[in-house]
Amino acid sequence: MTPDRSTLLLADDDPTIADSLAPFLERAGFHVLVVSDGMSALEKAQAHHPELIILDVLMPRMDGREVLRRLRRSRVWTPTILLTQVGEASERALALEEGADDYLNKPFDPHELLARIRAVLRRARPGERSLSAAWLLSASDLSLDRRARRATLGGETLDLTPKALAVLEYLMTHPDEAISRERLLEAVWGWEYPAGTRTVDTRMAELRRVLDDDPAEPRFIETISGEGYRFIAHVEAEG
Amino acid sequence: MPRKWWINLLLFSLPPVVGLISGILAHSFLPPEVPILFQADLGIAAFVFGGVVRQWSFFAFLLGFLITLILILLYLWDVRSVRQAKVMIVESLREMEQNRRNFLRRLDHEIKNPLTGLRAALVNMQETQAVDERQHAVEHAGRAVTRLSRLLADLRKLSDLGERPIEHVYVDVPGWLQDAVDAAHVLPAFEGREVSLLIPKVPSPFPSVTGDRDLLVLAVYNLIENALKFTCAEDSVEVRASEDGQFVVIEVADSGVGVPPEDLPKIFEELYRGSNARSTEGSGLGLALVKRIIALHNGQIHVRSSQAEPRGTVFTIRLPVTKRG
Repeated sequence: MTPDRSTLLLADDDPTIADSLAPFLERAGFHVLVVSDGMSALEKAQAHHPELIILDVLMPRMDGREVLRRLRRSRVWTPTILLTQVGEASERALALEEGADDYLNKPFDPHELLARIRAVLRRARPGERSLSAAWLLSASDLSLDRRARRATLGGETLDLTPKALAVLEYLMTHPDEAISRERLLEAVWGWEYPAGTRTVDTRMAELRRVLDDDPAEPRFIETISGEGYRFIAHVEAEG
Repeated sequence: MPRKWWINLLLFSLPPVVGLISGILAHSFLPPEVPILFQADLGIAAFVFGGVVRQWSFFAFLLGFLITLILILLYLWDVRSVRQAKVMIVESLREMEQNRRNFLRRLDHEIKNPLTGLRAALVNMQETQAVDERQHAVEHAGRAVTRLSRLLADLRKLSDLGERPIEHVYVDVPGWLQDAVDAAHVLPAFEGREVSLLIPKVPSPFPSVTGDRDLLVLAVYNLIENALKFTCAEDSVEVRASEDGQFVVIEVADSGVGVPPEDLPKIFEELYRGSNARSTEGSGLGLALVKRIIALHNGQIHVRSSQAEPRGTVFTIRLPVTKRG
C-alpha cells in the first residue's frame, strides 16, 4: 500500500464507526481528523483545509447535508463523500444535489470506502468545483442537464428511461474512472439485484444505442473487460 | 270567526317551545359532538316560520316538529355510523399494533441469533491463541455479519418499495422469466438442480406486461429461491407462464413437502417463518417483498399447497396484459 499523506476529515457521531474507521484509514496512510458533530465538521473543514471530507448525514448540531451546503455556499470545493442512511432512496439524489462527490450507503465495507476515497482524490481538481456539484455537464456534443433530467446529443433531446439517464449521469460525473457494474447498481438502483450485472448491461446497451456509440470504437462509454465501464470523453462543467 | 287570543298565542309559541324541548332532549341524549347550533336553529326556524305565516301557524308548528324529528333521526343515524366507523378504526389500529408487535418480535429474533454468533466469535478471537481457531472465529463473525447485512438489505428494499416510484416499461415475459431463472443459478441451493421454464409457443409473441423489469425479476427470483430451499434434489421446480387475454399468469411450482395449512395464510407476512422454515437460511422477507412488488404492478399473488399426495406448492402471479399501442 503506497503511503498517502493526505488529510481526511471524518465526521460521524457514532463512536463505534469513527473509532474503527480512523485507525483503518490511518493504516492506509492517511492523516485522519475525527469530529462527532456537524458544527465541528464545518469549523475543522474551514480551519484545516483537509484534502477530503467524509460526512455522515445524521449528526447532532448540524446534519451532514447542511454542512455540505454551507461549505459549497462559501465556495469550498473540498471533495466530499457522504455516508447516507439505509432506506432513504431519495438521499442518493439529494447527495448529488448538495454537491457530494460520492456517497456510500451504510453498512459498507471499509475497503469500499478506501477505494472511493482514492477514486475521489484522483479525480479532484484542487480549488475547482467538482463535476458532481455542477448542474450542466457536457462532453463533446453530448450535454446533460441534471436538474431538468434531460440529455441532448447535437442539440437533439435523447429519449432515455430514468434509469438509463441516471447511469449516464453517474458516468459523466465520474469520467475516466473504471466503474464496476456492482458500483453502478448500488449508485443508480440503490439495491442489490439478482441478475444485477445483466440489468446494468441492458441499460448500457440502451444508452449506447441512443447515444449511437459503437462499443468497438466508443466515443463515450468504453467497456473494460472484467471490470465494468468507463466514460472516456472529456467532461466539462457548465453550470 | 276570529280565534281567541290564547289559541293564537299557543299556536304562535308552540313551534319554538317544541324546538326548545327537542333541543333540550337532543342535548341530553345525543353525544356532545352534535353541534349546539342545530338545537337552537330548530326553535328559531320554527318560530320565524310560524310568525311569518300566522294563519298557517299550525302547519308551521307541524313542519317545525317534523323537521326536528327528521333531523334528530338523521343525527342518530349519523352518530351510529360514526360510532361504527370508530369501532372499525380502533379494530384496525389494534390489528396494526399487533402486526407491529409481531414484526418487532420477529425482528428481535432475527437479529438476536447472528448477534449471539458474532459475540461468541469475538470472545473466541480474544481468548484463543491458536491461529486456525482464530481464523475459524473470523469466518464465523463474517457469516454473522453477512446474515445481518442481508436482513438489513431486505428491510431496506421493503421500505423503499413504498416510497420510490417504479418504472413503467413494456416487459417481455419470456425474457423476464429467463433472467430470473438464470439469476437463480448462482444460488447455492441450485447446485445439481434444474428449474424448468415452460412458456407456450402460441400466441406469439407472448403478451407483455407493464412495470419495473428489475423488480419483476426479483419477485420471480425470490419465488424460485424459496422453491429450491424447501425441496430436495429429487423434487422438481417449474416456472410456467400462461395467459387468458386479460391476464398473464406466472406460476412457480415445486413438488416439495408443502406448506403446513396453518402457516399458509401467514407466509406473506414480514419475517414470518413457518414451522418448517425455522432452520433455513434467509431473511424471512422474501415472500413479503414478492407480494409488495406484485401489488405495485396491480397484480395478485396466491399460493396453494398440499402436504398429501399429490404434494407440492404453487405460487400464482396474475398481472394485467398490456396491449402494445
